[in-house]
Amino acid sequence: MKNIAIGITIFLLLWALILIFGIIDTFFLPTPLQVLTSLKNLFVSGKLIQDTAMTLARVGASLLIALGVGVPTGLLLGRFEKMYHSVEFIIDFFRSTPATALFPLFLVVFGIGEISKVALASFAATLIVIFNTAYGVMHAPKYRRVTAELLGATHRQIFWHVIIRESLPQLLVGIRNAVSWVLAVVVVTEMFIGTNTGLGRRIIDSSITYDISGMYASILVVGLIGYLLNALLLLIHKRYVHW
Amino acid sequence: MNGTIEVQNLKKHIGEKVILGGFDLVVPSGSIVALFGPNGCGKTTFMQILSRLVMADSGQSIIHGFNKRKFSYISQQYRETLLPWKTNLENIAFPLVLAGEDQEIIKKKVSEIVELFESPIPMNGYPYQLSGGEQQILVCMRALITRPEVICIDEAFSALDYENGLRLRMHLQTYWMKYHPTILAITHNPEEAVHLAERILVLSKNPMRVIASVDNTLPYPRTIDTIKSELFHKVKDQVLSAFVRVTHV
Repeated sequence: MKNIAIGITIFLLLWALILIFGIIDTFFLPTPLQVLTSLKNLFVSGKLIQDTAMTLARVGASLLIALGVGVPTGLLLGRFEKMYHSVEFIIDFFRSTPATALFPLFLVVFGIGEISKVALASFAATLIVIFNTAYGVMHAPKYRRVTAELLGATHRQIFWHVIIRESLPQLLVGIRNAVSWVLAVVVVTEMFIGTNTGLGRRIIDSSITYDISGMYASILVVGLIGYLLNALLLLIHKRYVHW
Repeated sequence: MNGTIEVQNLKKHIGEKVILGGFDLVVPSGSIVALFGPNGCGKTTFMQILSRLVMADSGQSIIHGFNKRKFSYISQQYRETLLPWKTNLENIAFPLVLAGEDQEIIKKKVSEIVELFESPIPMNGYPYQLSGGEQQILVCMRALITRPEVICIDEAFSALDYENGLRLRMHLQTYWMKYHPTILAITHNPEEAVHLAERILVLSKNPMRVIASVDNTLPYPRTIDTIKSELFHKVKDQVLSAFVRVTHV
């Protein structure tokens, strides 16, 4: 908590210094107070809540799909390494391609509605989840599996009691990675066509109409969402993957 | 007879090196035999073949009436074989869970084994919170909870301090006197061999052969007084003399 307070203080100090020395025009960088006032007004009017809810819904749906597809696939590919190596190139190639570069393609395939946004975000996140899960399984030490086998475990029991647990630490790293990606992809795609709601939409609209304080307020909310999701996952990690 | 270990003309090489060049061994059902030999003589490879973790090149290694669930292998890598996501209790009970036993039986057997070991280990904690000695005790409890008929021990006590090693040997002895499983123990500690075994086989290396068989008629239970006794030292001397002949120390 103390460290967070120090961080915020340094951040505000830098902001103030930039304003005092006139490095950026105050029209493009309002004071923290102006931004916070704008944040409060947007919050009270209910508009920001609606946009935040919409962005969160897209992020949530994308993550659910990514986990639902990515975890089983990753476990399977990690368990059968030969299979993983035969698709490794595809995973690595698309994992290395910025997902946003594929958005026009997804628009053509899935139309300009909600589906293309969620599809792109979950596509990017699924690859990250698959990679990390498979990696966690493949690089886990083998002696625990041998032990379970010696204690009389069947293949299915080894998978359930050992392999899934072994992959958890790396899987959680993957999920945190995926959350960052999903948030980025969702916000960027909201800036394009196909929706009137969402934080990305609000950021781009405020920018176009020169509501600069409103833009910063929305950016702040996006940052806060990312930060809180990450903190939540860290908490889960410490609680359930304690070893 | 069920539980008898019978090894005939077992051969195994790793790379160019001949580890086993026709190894023979019989461990009668219900007896304790210790294999005592120099480091790197192939004891662990032999144990892995016996436990069916590694394939031999040729020859036979039979455990009569072999049943996966009635066979326990205690290795020297105790730390790595405990599952850190399971509590100490769940680790001990793991073989029973794998066998599909129901909760009541598991509970009963766990309390039996905890009693036998007089263990002060907190059952709700996790293995990584324990000392090395306590972890090995946990591994032994896990190995014995299925009430195995055959137990293979691969230098399980070598990483422990004297006190914990001694304590574990005593527990194992108590278990053996109660249920009489066949026990084959590999060790490089002569005191351990003479403390536990009815017969000590001294091994040579490259390839591994039995070069002496020392019978040990000391009565069970073998207490601290037994270890201090003259007869104990006499048996130990016999073992050491045979050992010195192979290793040319």
